[in-house]
Amino acid sequence: MSTPDRNPQSGAAGARVAAPTGGAFLTERQDANTVLIPEAFDDDLKMFAQTARTFVQREIVPDFAKLEGLDYALSRAKMATAGGLGLLAVEVPEVYGGLGAGKAAASVVTEAVAASGSFNVTFNAHVGIGTLPLVYFGTEEQRARYLPRLATGEWVAAYCLTEPGSGSDSLAAKARADLDGDEWVLNGTKMWISNAGFADLFTVFAQVDGDKFSCFLVEKGAPGLSLGAEEHKMGIKGSSTRQVILENVRVPKGNLLGEIGKGHRIAFGILNIGRFKLAVGASGGAKQLIGLAQAYAKERRQFKVPIATFGLIQEKIGRMAADTYALESAVYRLAGSMDAATDGKHDPAAQLAALNDYAVEYSFIKVFGSEILDYVVDEALQIYGGYGFSADYPIELAYRNSRINRIFEGTNEINRELTVDQLLKRAMRGELDLLGPAQAAMLGRPVETVTAPAAQADAELALANLKLGTLMVAGMGAMAYMQGLEREQELLARVADMVGLCYMAESALLRSERLQGARGGEVALLLARLYAFAAVDRARDLGTEALRRIPRGKEALPRFQAYLAERGVDLVELRRQAAEAVYAADGYPLG
Amino acid sequence: MKAVTIIKQVPDAEARVRAAGGRVDLGGVTFVIDGMDEYGVEEAIRLREGGFELEIVALALGPSRSEDALRTALALGADRAVHIETDAWLDPLTQARVIAKVVEAEGAQLVFVGGKQADWDSAALGPALAEVLGWPHSDWTTALSLSDGSARVKHDTDGGQEELTLPLPAVITTQQGLNEPRYPTLPNIMKAKRKELAKRDLAEFAPGAALTELVSEDIQTQGRRGVIVTGDAVSAAAELVRLLRDEAKVI
Repeated sequence: MSTPDRNPQSGAAGARVAAPTGGAFLTERQDANTVLIPEAFDDDLKMFAQTARTFVQREIVPDFAKLEGLDYALSRAKMATAGGLGLLAVEVPEVYGGLGAGKAAASVVTEAVAASGSFNVTFNAHVGIGTLPLVYFGTEEQRARYLPRLATGEWVAAYCLTEPGSGSDSLAAKARADLDGDEWVLNGTKMWISNAGFADLFTVFAQVDGDKFSCFLVEKGAPGLSLGAEEHKMGIKGSSTRQVILENVRVPKGNLLGEIGKGHRIAFGILNIGRFKLAVGASGGAKQLIGLAQAYAKERRQFKVPIATFGLIQEKIGRMAADTYALESAVYRLAGSMDAATDGKHDPAAQLAALNDYAVEYSFIKVFGSEILDYVVDEALQIYGGYGFSADYPIELAYRNSRINRIFEGTNEINRELTVDQLLKRAMRGELDLLGPAQAAMLGRPVETVTAPAAQADAELALANLKLGTLMVAGMGAMAYMQGLEREQELLARVADMVGLCYMAESALLRSERLQGARGGEVALLLARLYAFAAVDRARDLGTEALRRIPRGKEALPRFQAYLAERGVDLVELRRQAAEAVYAADGYPLG
Repeated sequence: MKAVTIIKQVPDAEARVRAAGGRVDLGGVTFVIDGMDEYGVEEAIRLREGGFELEIVALALGPSRSEDALRTALALGADRAVHIETDAWLDPLTQARVIAKVVEAEGAQLVFVGGKQADWDSAALGPALAEVLGWPHSDWTTALSLSDGSARVKHDTDGGQEELTLPLPAVITTQQGLNEPRYPTLPNIMKAKRKELAKRDLAEFAPGAALTELVSEDIQTQGRRGVIVTGDAVSAAAELVRLLRDEAKVI
């Protein structure tokens, strides 16, 4: 691939953004100067974001109602406009008409487009799971044939993995592909396919010889290719979702994508990036909703005062802001790591291998992103009160649209399992030293001092011990259940959440450390401390429940609770202050 | 032919600004290219797209952050940029004298200036620049075409419209309606990085002593009176009219 080296985003004082080992955050603290934060974006990123926001304002907002009514021609036209602006080409290599830019660049676009309702799904299904399989697995010929058209929006792509009988268990697909002379003959039914109604290119997974999971490129109009009716969905009603039915569909032999029996590499590699992108979109959506909710709270008067002055409203807005800040910080920290990890790698397979290094992070960030967005939209609706429940106001639609995020790109349940599963696999493959630190945590004592800026030293200390508590529970669980751990889903989920809380809280604190004394520094510090201390409270509950179940875990509770000690920080006060910061900024106060 | 488009960077329209110590505090404000200047850049690009061989030079006089607005102009389609860097507040005539030197040195035939600056609402720079250069000037321009060394323009008057021709070189100040400015595509944003952005020092242009000095700034604030008019509909309406007329003086 001839994509030139990207400019890795600069950290502070010329430090380069680093690519730490995936999962290593549990045992090592990254240098804050090597983390990508939105405040350090270069001009390109700022201008990409501005163009994407202008696109939404000029092209989507005026036609919002029509797009939500599901209008194939209009959706296609908007995709073409997006294509003309380069918004569909960010991750496509330059030789195929793309920009060859990285995940941070793609992320600023994704965040902005998140404010476009259902069109967000159309857009992301195309640029992510629709286009990326070709970017990472296409042959020279396949990429030359399809990528230029996908990059301009002349063609729209759909990704066909799920079947009526196989969702989370995607490798159990029943669709089959049989070689007949120079052609593959495809048969099967694919379910919940975004963009199906107006897509030109379908990326279809099917079994060869019964169990060799493989991937094929099918063009619209192929005889035997048909579509089911539009699904009647709860939300994202303006995106097309249909079954894709293949009955003796013949495609040339050369339309096999990747290798026979290696389809799982495509499916999981692309899903990994899709999970990351989902979290990015959630960050953009949450910021938009905070803007709406705070404006309404200031405007709506009850008992002769704006409801924004009430503690229970401030509490919601304060938590919304802290959660969103942590999510945004985590998303760009991870984007920076992804770009640094692939920097200088020209071979797409090597790039994807480097990206797969963060499989643990993708899984929990998808869970946290979708659940934070759901929390934010739920409380935004509550702040709007009766008007929130009315379809004449914007929250009702956002509420319905948000819900799918906990289901697609792998349900949150599967992603919680994957978080721990991948973490343990990385440890067993020797890619990550978890065993030593976990054993030390099972026997150790709380850390009493950390090196950190004074203003956030209390939260840093809490975080250092949160990591030890997490390692302790994970280690005890792994030892107690060994190979049977996978049957302890409830335990896995709790460990996954604790692992995610460590990363989120750390990302929040790394950013506030970087912003010390800079614009936004005080607000970042406030939100980072709020998030970190709330994370400790949540982790204490999670870990306590886990230890009560693990054999001999009850005896370990005092040690665990010493790690997650009560630190006496008044979170009610911090949430009030956070709400005031939102009000003063007329919306999400950073980014 | 060469066109210079003057670029000013202004606070985003939604920015919240505060005044402190007799100065407007712009800390924490997001800055953007002035929308009025975008009309000028767009018009120059359209002239070129319409077949004129036009080199488009974006010019800014202002603090270092103005570079971002120049980058936007380059991403929109300007060929190169000149940035005269200064943190000083300059009155419009002093600005015009500095800018005129660059325009003359460039040998430009057309200068586009935003009709009214979105920050301090000044509309003086365009006319002042025409005066310093001794060039004809079209104010509040809503249509422009070029032929045979002259420009044909339209501009709105109070309740009507005028059409004028003016020989080149000329200064054109822009107005809403002149065009619908495009916004930069991602590929053009990346290409803009490779375009020339020349930095010049204000001292080179010997601007001389300022003609006016900024003494203090303040911001109008609007607050709610919180008055609730009570009583039956007829007397409440009468009271409301009285308040609007005699106290608020809006009717």
